[in-house]
Amino acid sequence: MASAANANVNAVRETMDVLLEISRLLNTGLDMESLSICVRLCEQGINPEALSAVIKELRKASESLKASENCTN
Amino acid sequence: MATLDQKSPNVLLQSLCCRITGKSEAEVAHQFQYAVRVIGSNYAPTIERDEFLVSEKIKKELLKQRREADAALFSELHRKLQTQGVLKHRWSVLYLLLSLSEDPRKPSSRVGNYGALFAQALPRDAHSTPFYCTRPQSLALGYGERSAGLSASVGTSGISSLGVYTLNGPTPTPQSLLAGQPPQSAAGGGQPLGSRLAWALPVSSSPSSALAPPTARPPLGPPVPATRVIRPRRDGDPAGEVSEAALVRDILYVFQGIDGKFIKMNAQDNCYKIDSKVVLCKSLRDTSSRLAELGWLHNKVRKYTDARSLDRAFGLVGQSFCASLHQELKEYYRLLSVLHSQLQVEDDQGVNMCTESSLTLRRLLVWMYDPKVRLKTLAALVDFCQGRKGGELASAVHAYGKTGDPQMRALVQHILSLVSHPILNFLYRWIYDGELEDTYHEFFVASDPNVKTDRLWHDKYSLRKSMIPSFITMDQARKVLLIGKSINFLHQVCHDRTPPGKITPASKSADTPKDAAELLSDLEGAFQEKIDAAYFDTSKYLLDVLNRNYLLLEHLQAMRRYLLLGQGDFIRHLMDLLKPELARPATTLYQHNLTGILETAVRATNAQFDNAEILKRLDVRLLEVSPGDTGWDVFSLDYHVDGPIATVFTRECMGHYLRVFNFLWRAKRMEYTLTDIWKGQMCNAKLLKTMPELSGVLHQCHILASEMVHFIHQMQYYITFEVLECSWDELWNKVQQAQDLDHIIAAHDVFLDTIISRCLLDNNSRSLLNQLRAIFDQIIEFQSAQDSLYRSALEELTLRLQYEEKKQQREEEGQWGVTAEQEAEEKKRIQEFQETIPKMRSQLRILTHFYQSIVQQFLVLLMTSSDESLRFLSFRLDFNEHYRAREPRLRASLGATRGRRMSNI
Repeated sequence: MASAANANVNAVRETMDVLLEISRLLNTGLDMESLSICVRLCEQGINPEALSAVIKELRKASESLKASENCTN
Repeated sequence: MATLDQKSPNVLLQSLCCRITGKSEAEVAHQFQYAVRVIGSNYAPTIERDEFLVSEKIKKELLKQRREADAALFSELHRKLQTQGVLKHRWSVLYLLLSLSEDPRKPSSRVGNYGALFAQALPRDAHSTPFYCTRPQSLALGYGERSAGLSASVGTSGISSLGVYTLNGPTPTPQSLLAGQPPQSAAGGGQPLGSRLAWALPVSSSPSSALAPPTARPPLGPPVPATRVIRPRRDGDPAGEVSEAALVRDILYVFQGIDGKFIKMNAQDNCYKIDSKVVLCKSLRDTSSRLAELGWLHNKVRKYTDARSLDRAFGLVGQSFCASLHQELKEYYRLLSVLHSQLQVEDDQGVNMCTESSLTLRRLLVWMYDPKVRLKTLAALVDFCQGRKGGELASAVHAYGKTGDPQMRALVQHILSLVSHPILNFLYRWIYDGELEDTYHEFFVASDPNVKTDRLWHDKYSLRKSMIPSFITMDQARKVLLIGKSINFLHQVCHDRTPPGKITPASKSADTPKDAAELLSDLEGAFQEKIDAAYFDTSKYLLDVLNRNYLLLEHLQAMRRYLLLGQGDFIRHLMDLLKPELARPATTLYQHNLTGILETAVRATNAQFDNAEILKRLDVRLLEVSPGDTGWDVFSLDYHVDGPIATVFTRECMGHYLRVFNFLWRAKRMEYTLTDIWKGQMCNAKLLKTMPELSGVLHQCHILASEMVHFIHQMQYYITFEVLECSWDELWNKVQQAQDLDHIIAAHDVFLDTIISRCLLDNNSRSLLNQLRAIFDQIIEFQSAQDSLYRSALEELTLRLQYEEKKQQREEEGQWGVTAEQEAEEKKRIQEFQETIPKMRSQLRILTHFYQSIVQQFLVLLMTSSDESLRFLSFRLDFNEHYRAREPRLRASLGATRGRRMSNI
């Protein structure tokens, strides 16, 4: 039972490694943690299109915030 | 760490927000709310849920970036992923990664590309205010979001009611998702709108107070009456007034020809009408009835295509017309579906603010203006094309292309290119292969399957005038007909099996409607050139084949030589040989005898050097015998024609030839007879000198004979030089210059017609011909009269000579030369002979008189003839005004014509 769980964890880890590699190939700019969150969201059936839009938007927002902060500084 | 446990999506989302912005949970509250809204709105994915497609897309993307190795690596990784089977939604993850992927060569696409994003936005944004430029979140996500931040700008369009957002309005914002959140929004007035505004505004106006929404509201924005409902747009008013949104929804159905809730088809007036019970302000009513016209137009076009597309007999041209209409309708449907989806999005989001991005009737009016004009044109076209098919249909469409509006012209041109495509295909099949596959009788060349090959050229193919598309000129159509006809003629009549490609090279047909369109745009140039080239090559080839293999020109010359008596020595010899045969009654003639004589004549004269092919066709023919006819009346030469040359020498042509031959043969016979007469006179003149009592009669004979000789010579001159040679020269020139077989046939027909009319064989000169026949008869009669005269004279002469001889013989024997009895007998005989002389004389005088009167009548007819050459003939016949002196009528008419001449000058 324990070994089965262990194998499962191993498979999950491998999967994540593969996905990280693909993510790197595609230059998505996601780190391991964000990726795992995204994967989990996707697995729950969230529309990937919306998710990607959210991520992009978030990035833009944070960047523009940073930029404006720089300006004010 | 990476266990795929079932955490709630909200928690995950929040941690994602923190992770990406790098801030604490509290700080990202607005971003999180936004994220929840976007995810929660959950608009329908626009992509297919297909893992394979997504992976292919990724590979393509990598290849586009010229990273082939990475692409290979990706496919390996992808395969691994597939084998592990941990993930349920592989495509989803892959798609996410793909949409987040960025080209490493572009340094940063994250910032500074808002402009590009704007460019991608729907065209309806084009008229919106420049406020967009300052907005950071220009995603084409939720329209509501975008416009919410900009409700301030609504005033510029001034269309809809104020942008209202209500807390108690039916917003599908998932409140449950917000449950776990600290009530951050309370700080912002407790309104999602406010918080969104706040989130949106820092960049544009107040960067420092990003989290203080109420104060950050732009000064130009009208105060949003947040708690008051001005007009709930989705639902009907309690008063029963229909909201604009409901009307928009209705109108969208009406656009497709479906009755809406309020706007229905009125069968009586044949238009869409708003239910009169519905309470509605006038402007909306007007606007919607104007929009409803589209539905009516759509129905019209639709009805036509539906009715026609199943009708097989409508033909290919009609089918392509329907197809092009369908294409246009499809474009129209696409537009409608975009509108529908927009409506859907608005509904889904539940944000029914009236901003510049939502659908209003006025906006529809503007957007639907172009489609309306297009549909109007289509409907007019459909009306105009009702009941037409084939080339006629193409003409109708072409007529509509003559408009000054470039858009309409483009539309009609497009339809025309589709419609004319089958016609051009027919055309190319026809002019390059000679094949006519026109099941529905749409092409402008018609074929009559009942016509046999011998009449192929003349009768089998014809032009369907109504089916000639108006962009093809009559001249081009005729050429097209001729080209295909020539090819068919070569194949079926000449049995020429040259592949069509060899006759006309570069037979590239219009394969696509695009080619057809190009060709249509260049009708004067390339199309004309193509037809001309095909016409030239095919006709030339056909003429070559006819001349080389079928000796058309040689046959033409043979006609001239044999049937028109051009070969003098042969005709003369033939007449010599035939004379004894033809003098017999017609019933005793046998064709085989005459054929034998013909062959003898051919062998004895220059005709023997002629082409065997031609001599083989030469034959004798006996016309129908009527009682009392001699051989002269029924004899005729014949020329057998068959195969391809029979197209030029048709049955009618040969009939004409036979008539002309008969006339010429008769004239020739007169000449021949007169020669005999003259010969008789010359031979007998000396002999009969011993009979002085005959000299008067003989003199009379000589005078009449020379009169006749003069007449016949002039006639022969006229026939030979003014009729035959002139016409022949004309014909020969035309034949040498002929470009196609039709030219030759036409020239030949003209030639025959000229000869027929000049030889007085047509109906107009029947009276002249009758006179001429009478003159010929007189000549024959004169010949027989003179013959009998000579016979009796010569008989008398021999008797006298015998008498003298006997007398001398007896004297030598020493007897009495003559006894009284014998002398008396001799005297009596001489007396009797001399008594016959006055009789001969009077007979001759009657003959002369008769002959002269006929000639005079003939001359009178000639003088009044309209043909100038005939008038000249009359001058020549009466050059010394011998007849004019005797015939007062002749004088009068002569004077009259001269007078007329003078007056003309």
